[in-house]
Amino acid sequence: MPLEFLLILVIGGISAIAVILHLTGRSHRAVLLPEDARAAWHRHFPDDMIVDVTVAHDGHAALVETEQGPGLLWSFGADTVGRHLRDFDLLDHPQGLRVLFHDFTAPQVTLHLSPDERRDWQARMTPR
Amino acid sequence: MTETLSFPDPTQLAVPFFIAAILIEFLWIAMKKRGGRYETRDAVTSLVMGAGSVAEGILLGFIAWGFLMVLWDLTPLDLGTSVWALVACFVLDDLRYYWVHRFGHRIRWVWASHVNHHSSQHYNLTTALRQTWTGTFTFMMVVKAPLVLLGFHPALVLFAGGLNLIYQFWIHTEAIGKLPGWFEAVMNTPSHHRVHHGRNPRYLDCNYAGVFIVWDRMFGTFVPEQEDEKVDYGLVHNLGTFNPLRVAFHEWLGIWRDITQPGLTLRQRLAYAFAPPGYSHDGSRETSAQIKARHLARHPQDRGTPGFTDRPPGPAQGLRS
Ligand SMILES: [Zn+2]
Ligand SMILES: [Zn+2]
Repeated sequence: MPLEFLLILVIGGISAIAVILHLTGRSHRAVLLPEDARAAWHRHFPDDMIVDVTVAHDGHAALVETEQGPGLLWSFGADTVGRHLRDFDLLDHPQGLRVLFHDFTAPQVTLHLSPDERRDWQARMTPR
Repeated sequence: MTETLSFPDPTQLAVPFFIAAILIEFLWIAMKKRGGRYETRDAVTSLVMGAGSVAEGILLGFIAWGFLMVLWDLTPLDLGTSVWALVACFVLDDLRYYWVHRFGHRIRWVWASHVNHHSSQHYNLTTALRQTWTGTFTFMMVVKAPLVLLGFHPALVLFAGGLNLIYQFWIHTEAIGKLPGWFEAVMNTPSHHRVHHGRNPRYLDCNYAGVFIVWDRMFGTFVPEQEDEKVDYGLVHNLGTFNPLRVAFHEWLGIWRDITQPGLTLRQRLAYAFAPPGYSHDGSRETSAQIKARHLARHPQDRGTPGFTDRPPGPAQGLRS
């Protein structure tokens, strides 16, 4: 197959699929309820003992207090990803906070938080 | 046989078929409202990984090709290019695939290349195309050496490998349940391969087959899909990025960071590269065996059920059918 033709086919195919998925609502991020967040955390970390779960008002992130330490769960496309809050930096963001994990597989998360939430989360995320 | 023997690259020719099949699967799911899930960024990442993998083949394919051609010049055997030679080559190459795939899950160096295929939390036809960019660096082309030395021309071997990957495309779907018993007994199917993509402790490290599931049954790595345990797709530690560069290279970077950390013995450094994924010198991570053991500690009733049948090595193991 000529390379130009292959290239056009690949770029055209990927673009077409992306547009169709987006227009049919497949880009929506997971919205979490507290019980979803609990189940999702246990899915990622089955051995953690969850003490408390706080879901952000937009439903796209949850602060999870566990006996193993605090963790952050967030919407990742239609699914979720979680990381323990061990090795990270916290930055201010106009809409809330930005978490920079020192983790090549989960570099950063932007949290959309109300001013009250932001104060609360910042206090609870900062290592004591 | 002539040195200029060439076969078409089946994976490139299949691209239009891949695109059409993805659209059909998506429409089917959208209409029936069951049989799988699609997510935009997940699908795009998978497709870009697939395109990158084809590009890697075009750019670096000459390395494996050159290696196999050296062996071809050495071997006195030539099985020709008859239909029977192709059939024999296809079957033996599938056995080759089984072992390369098994190494891909049991040796971190090879896992670093293969991990990206398992990095989606979705399971649909786009997941099939989430292929490695770094296969050449695993040096797993050496497992093709016996085929060439037996007298299969490298072009035939690569053609068989391409057909194998194309076969595996259609089994990456939740739209097909279980197929007739005889088919599930012999062939790799959507049901068997769903299990292979599971991160459930029960489903770790099983069903390595490409085309014929009989290899897993023969070598004791077969686990059937359980009615009462839905497959949870993805990695034990799921990725928090859709960036194809991170998806492609994260485990290689992990190996580099691990083997270069200060204060390790040479043996520990080698283990970080070549031991099973999850090895750590200080016990801070878990291998699949440890994950299964921990699961059994919490759920002792699962001991002896599929995926949890490992017995201590003994004479009984040789009698296992
Ligand atoms: Zn695999
Ligand atoms: Zn697969």
